[in-house]
Amino acid sequence: MDTAIHSLPAKAVDKSAATMTKRAHYSPPWADLSIIGIAGSSGSGKSTLSQAIDSYYKPLDPESSRKAFLNEYDFDSPDAIDFDALLETLRDLKAGKRAEVPIYSFEKHQRMEETTIIYSPHVLILEGIFALYDPRVMGLMDMRYVVPQRNEADIIVPRGIENRVAMTMVTQYIERKLLEKSTHHRAALKSLEAGFESEPLSKRVTILKETPQLKGMNTLIQDLDTSSEDFIFYFDRLSCLLIEQALNNVHFKALTVETTSGVPYHGLAPKGEVSAVLVLRGGAAFEAGLRRVIPDCRTGRLLIQNNLRTGEPELHYLKLPKDISKHESVLLLDSQMSSGGSGLMAVQVLVDHGVPQDRIVFATYSAGRVGLHRLTKVFPDIAVVVGNMVSDMEERWVENRYFRC
Amino acid sequence: MASASGSHPHVGPTQCVGPDYRSESQKPIATVSTEVKYETVTTLPQTPQLIALLTKIRDKNTERADFIFYSNRIIRLLVEEGLNHLPVVEHTVTTPVGRNYAGLMFQGKICGVSIMRAGEAMEQGLRDCCRSVRIGKILIQRDEETSQPKLFYDKLPEDIADRWVLLLDPMFATGGSAIMAVEVLKSRGVPEERILFLNLIASPEGIANFATKFPRLRVVTAFVDQGLDSKNYIVPGLGDFGDRFYTM
Repeated sequence: MDTAIHSLPAKAVDKSAATMTKRAHYSPPWADLSIIGIAGSSGSGKSTLSQAIDSYYKPLDPESSRKAFLNEYDFDSPDAIDFDALLETLRDLKAGKRAEVPIYSFEKHQRMEETTIIYSPHVLILEGIFALYDPRVMGLMDMRYVVPQRNEADIIVPRGIENRVAMTMVTQYIERKLLEKSTHHRAALKSLEAGFESEPLSKRVTILKETPQLKGMNTLIQDLDTSSEDFIFYFDRLSCLLIEQALNNVHFKALTVETTSGVPYHGLAPKGEVSAVLVLRGGAAFEAGLRRVIPDCRTGRLLIQNNLRTGEPELHYLKLPKDISKHESVLLLDSQMSSGGSGLMAVQVLVDHGVPQDRIVFATYSAGRVGLHRLTKVFPDIAVVVGNMVSDMEERWVENRYFRC
Repeated sequence: MASASGSHPHVGPTQCVGPDYRSESQKPIATVSTEVKYETVTTLPQTPQLIALLTKIRDKNTERADFIFYSNRIIRLLVEEGLNHLPVVEHTVTTPVGRNYAGLMFQGKICGVSIMRAGEAMEQGLRDCCRSVRIGKILIQRDEETSQPKLFYDKLPEDIADRWVLLLDPMFATGGSAIMAVEVLKSRGVPEERILFLNLIASPEGIANFATKFPRLRVVTAFVDQGLDSKNYIVPGLGDFGDRFYTM
């Protein structure tokens, strides 16, 4: 296996400490991707440093393919690598965008029709014989390693796999990078709250009207002594109202229909498809309410968990409808918003996948002012719907009550 | 009952519908509920979502499954609004994160009473909000000879006099049957002010009738249409609700 991309699971964060202009800037941890190049000839031990996933060989024409099967094709020649495609992919990833990466089949010796999506790595290892061949690719790299030799490297690993010292250096470098990113991300999140307390909430934030029923439901939902049966019933009932309210923020068009009386009615219809994205685990508590309002709603999911040690939100899993950027509106659902960190990350993920801000409606059962300010300062064009305003930085408890674990 | 007539008998008020943060030009124009002046009448907020749901069920080409689904969504909103008129008392609780919440506790027993047959279509929506609620029934049909409504059957909770009653009938035209139903409830000892009449589409005539006869009874409706035709059907309306929900 030769040129390959290996992405490390999300664990860290951001470069640019958010600049405080009128519209605050949030930079997700993957916006400043570190790329590490590892080069060396076949069998020199590069693969031990990283796991190969994808390859950049140009698709072979039938004649070359035949040759390859006969082991006549020179895979060690730089001509066989599509450096242009590689460069484009690396640039997208470096900019924090998602990238489609071609899959190379070693059985068939050709690039497959399918591609795989890489999104949000914090550190990426580019491994291959020619990882350090193209100067443009090399320019994007943060660190370059060569096993066993070459001029352009920061570190040359003389005896490949045997060299434990070099291995440790690479690992330590990655760990240091991840920690740096995490520290920056947390600092950037923290700086987003400055001065927001005194400002009124954005006009695009709707808090459910505190009617006697809503307040009564909020009482039952928040009462520690409420049975699980009642908790789930009232949470479903309230989430239904929350989603109905969220849908008032989607785009509608005028529509005249004919009634049985023969008199037309000048009404409205949604402009297009409304889909949903659940921020797991909390957002999954909205699933029942969502199905009551839109039974066949297409629903993406993303798992964001706060790091137990640092409290930093981390993106672990992502599955979105393919054509999400074309949906008329996307409801982004999470049960609670405390610091706003995971909300920011979730909206950023949708934006990175081509969903315009004004088509995003973020709905949550409870939120505090600081979190709402952070979210709407960074993404001023999204709409937000909140069921219950609570004090800032409240830890998550709804999902534990709803799923009973 | 006088039917609405004139040069444009059935054109209701129109306005831009949408959230406040959007400019008028960003909001589509639709016909909204006709305003009524009685304090006892609550019309649901004319949100774009509600208008879209009503558009769906008014459309004569909407299929039965969709008609049922979209009606149910409106009915749930009606029930949620209706329940807001029930009494509550202050009640503070401790939340799972240990803070206090100065909340409310529901007071008073309730029951539903559906005017058969169309009113029964609203029972599911009621149950979605109030599990295991008691539901009484009243059957009123038009007498062929007098063309006046006539009581054929009723089955109500025995302790109905102690309860708040959510009276269910989706179409509030002249209010003939609803008036008779209220008389039945009153004869069983339910005070007028403890009756909430929930309906999807009302006529100004029906509302005026009720306000005169039962000045303390609350009406909750999703939409007040422009008027009635010569056969006392609401226009534009949506046709016969019971037929569309059950048999068509």
